[in-house]
Amino acid sequence: MRHVLFRLEKDRYALPLAAIREVVVAPTTWTRVPRSPRAMKGVMNLRGRVVPVVDLRELLEVGPAAGAGQARVMLLDRGRRELGLLIGEVDGIETLEKVGPPAPKASAAVKGLARLGALPVTVLDPDALDATVARAFTTK
Amino acid sequence: MAASWDTSRYLTLFAGEATEHLEALGKDVVTFEKGATPEVVDSMFRHAHSVKGMASSMAFEATAKLAHQLEDLLDALRADLARADAQVADVILQTVDALSTHVKAAVANQPLPDSAELGAKLAALHRVLTKKDTPVPAPAPVTSTPARSSPSSPELEAPAPFSSSSSGVVDPTTPPRYSLRLKINPASNQPGVRGFLAYKRLSTLGNVFDLKPPLDDIKAGRVPQGVITLELETDQSEDAVARTMRTVGDVELESIAAVVKTPPAPPVAPEADPSRVVGQEPARTIRVRTEVMDEFLDQAGELLLATSRVRALSRRVPEALRPSLDEAVDHLHLLVKGLHGRVMAARMTPIAVISDRLPRAARDIARRRNREVELVITGEDIELDRAIVDELADPVLHLLRNAIDHGIEPPEERKAANKPPKGKVTLAVTRQRERVVLALSDDGRGIDVARLEQAVVERGLMTVDQVRGLTERERLMLVCLPGLSTATDVTDISGRGVGMDAVKRAVEQVGGTLEIETKPGRGTTFRLALPLTVAMVNLLLVSVGDEVYGLPLGKVSGVIETARERLPMSQNAPVLQFGQSVLPVHELSSLLEVPAGPPSQGQAPFVVVDGDDGRLALAVDRLLGQEEVVLKALSQPLDLVPGLAGVTILGNGRPVFILDVARLVTA
Repeated sequence: MRHVLFRLEKDRYALPLAAIREVVVAPTTWTRVPRSPRAMKGVMNLRGRVVPVVDLRELLEVGPAAGAGQARVMLLDRGRRELGLLIGEVDGIETLEKVGPPAPKASAAVKGLARLGALPVTVLDPDALDATVARAFTTK
Repeated sequence: MAASWDTSRYLTLFAGEATEHLEALGKDVVTFEKGATPEVVDSMFRHAHSVKGMASSMAFEATAKLAHQLEDLLDALRADLARADAQVADVILQTVDALSTHVKAAVANQPLPDSAELGAKLAALHRVLTKKDTPVPAPAPVTSTPARSSPSSPELEAPAPFSSSSSGVVDPTTPPRYSLRLKINPASNQPGVRGFLAYKRLSTLGNVFDLKPPLDDIKAGRVPQGVITLELETDQSEDAVARTMRTVGDVELESIAAVVKTPPAPPVAPEADPSRVVGQEPARTIRVRTEVMDEFLDQAGELLLATSRVRALSRRVPEALRPSLDEAVDHLHLLVKGLHGRVMAARMTPIAVISDRLPRAARDIARRRNREVELVITGEDIELDRAIVDELADPVLHLLRNAIDHGIEPPEERKAANKPPKGKVTLAVTRQRERVVLALSDDGRGIDVARLEQAVVERGLMTVDQVRGLTERERLMLVCLPGLSTATDVTDISGRGVGMDAVKRAVEQVGGTLEIETKPGRGTTFRLALPLTVAMVNLLLVSVGDEVYGLPLGKVSGVIETARERLPMSQNAPVLQFGQSVLPVHELSSLLEVPAGPPSQGQAPFVVVDGDDGRLALAVDRLLGQEEVVLKALSQPLDLVPGLAGVTILGNGRPVFILDVARLVTA
């Protein structure tokens, strides 16, 4: 299956291409969401639509971003709505076939680990990502 | 029966229209029970006729047959209104119920229920009504009829007293009906006159029904393919009819057949018989799915936002270009605003859409509970956004049920209290500035607040001290406590029933408020104050730190500027003097869990708002002004945040959350 490869700092991640609507440049200012979990970066105005954006590093609990590396928002297609993921750079589109089990303490949003050449890639599950965001709100 | 493929696409349309006619018919029956007038019987007849036509064109023959029999019965009633009584009304209502069941079955693609027994009953009643000087046996006054086990079910009651005389569906005492098909000779140079003559000649033999095309069209010569169809009720034989037709030149009787089961009813063609033409041509309308209307509104709202954005950007354009650009933007804005207004207007729906079914419901509930109730509805033509009207259907029905079930006393109890035995329930709809107020009042026993409090404490929902600390208004709102209102055994103790929490939630969901007033022994009023539309909202914009929030103006009672350090303290918390009352002060930044701005020097603004638990003051950094905005609904996960009502985008492109002020503190 074709996946979009992207980076959070130095780590490589992938999401199925079919689940992604587009990737846009992250805005410079955010409207904060009141009473929201830490992972909720804020909302952005995307051509007249208000799109919630989560900081993927925070959501996956891999530690806060060290530098100003969070430059892009990847928009997950969730039917009549969108969920934005704040990420680093997009590396490209690759076909990933074999996805092995995830690392022991990985987030529920992680589907598993794949290999691209010698490099490990963490493959995420779009539905589980969405559910993880909802859970972050309800258990806050 | 299952609809064939070519009709199945019209099934939804059929269901919608038939249900509307049946609801209107049910409403008419209640009026009819109070006093049969020619107008109401005419109206009932028209509704029955429409249902018949629709069912027939969808090939739901059993449904068409039943509607046809109802139509016949109503036709007989028109001739002799004096025979209308409670029993007749009952049979009509049973038929309406049965027809509704038919429609539901049709939609679900299930076999139509068997209504032969009801058909026999209708035929028998029709026979009685058309027979001169025979009173309907055992007329029963409406209010003393025994309670029915299931008032909305189409089941029949015990056999009617006269059912022994009925065996078949076709009524032997009314003349038989024939379905005729006439063809005007295409060579005729006066087809209109020929067609009219044929009609005149046939009407000397008996009564003509379902003439198609309508008589006016025939007179004008508008007869497609020269074919006229009609039904004739006559004592004459088929041969005699055929003989008569031969006397009309240029018109041929193509076919004649006795109508046994189903009338070959035309679709909703207007009645041709001049004596039946009542009222004028209705306004032409089309039906649009509500989702389409929602999408329209979304798009129009986004256009408005986009226009504001263009206007904001135009400020950055060099001075020389400004005037012409401003003019263009003004024009665009005007057009878009006009479009948005029209979309909103198209969504406006009269309250009648939900109140029309209430008289029927009131009657059924009253009968089941052995109450006597008069329901008065005023202002039902006032319009609200479709989305709000839809949300209100269940809550209003619920309030009505509560008013009759628990508000209105049984007749004996009312007499003992020196009240008229018949209780009165009023639904008064009024427009009050930017709101529509629905007030449902009863003149019953009122809410027993002391017992209500007791029930709340007994259920462990609140402690005695907590209850004591409530204001009078808050005490009444206890009926909306979820734990209380779902407990059925409390229904009779507290005097109010199930699901008040659901009513309150539904009202607040659409941006409305619920108020309760009660007077012991005098009655209770539930007042629903609702916004006209879901889409536009007037905001007071305030800033807190780097953030901007919108407070719906409807919830803002006032603004006070004072120095923070001079606020009086009560129990270690700052309070604000507002008029006669002392209000708790909440920092908006801490309520919303966002960073606060730098501490203010000197005067700071406090916004006084109406919360669920009474008024409170919100400390904000700055007031940014007032703005009318398009409210966007929150999508997941934003809808999980308590205290948010929606979101909008300001002219500068910035998304701004609109706060659900009522629940800001309680949520």
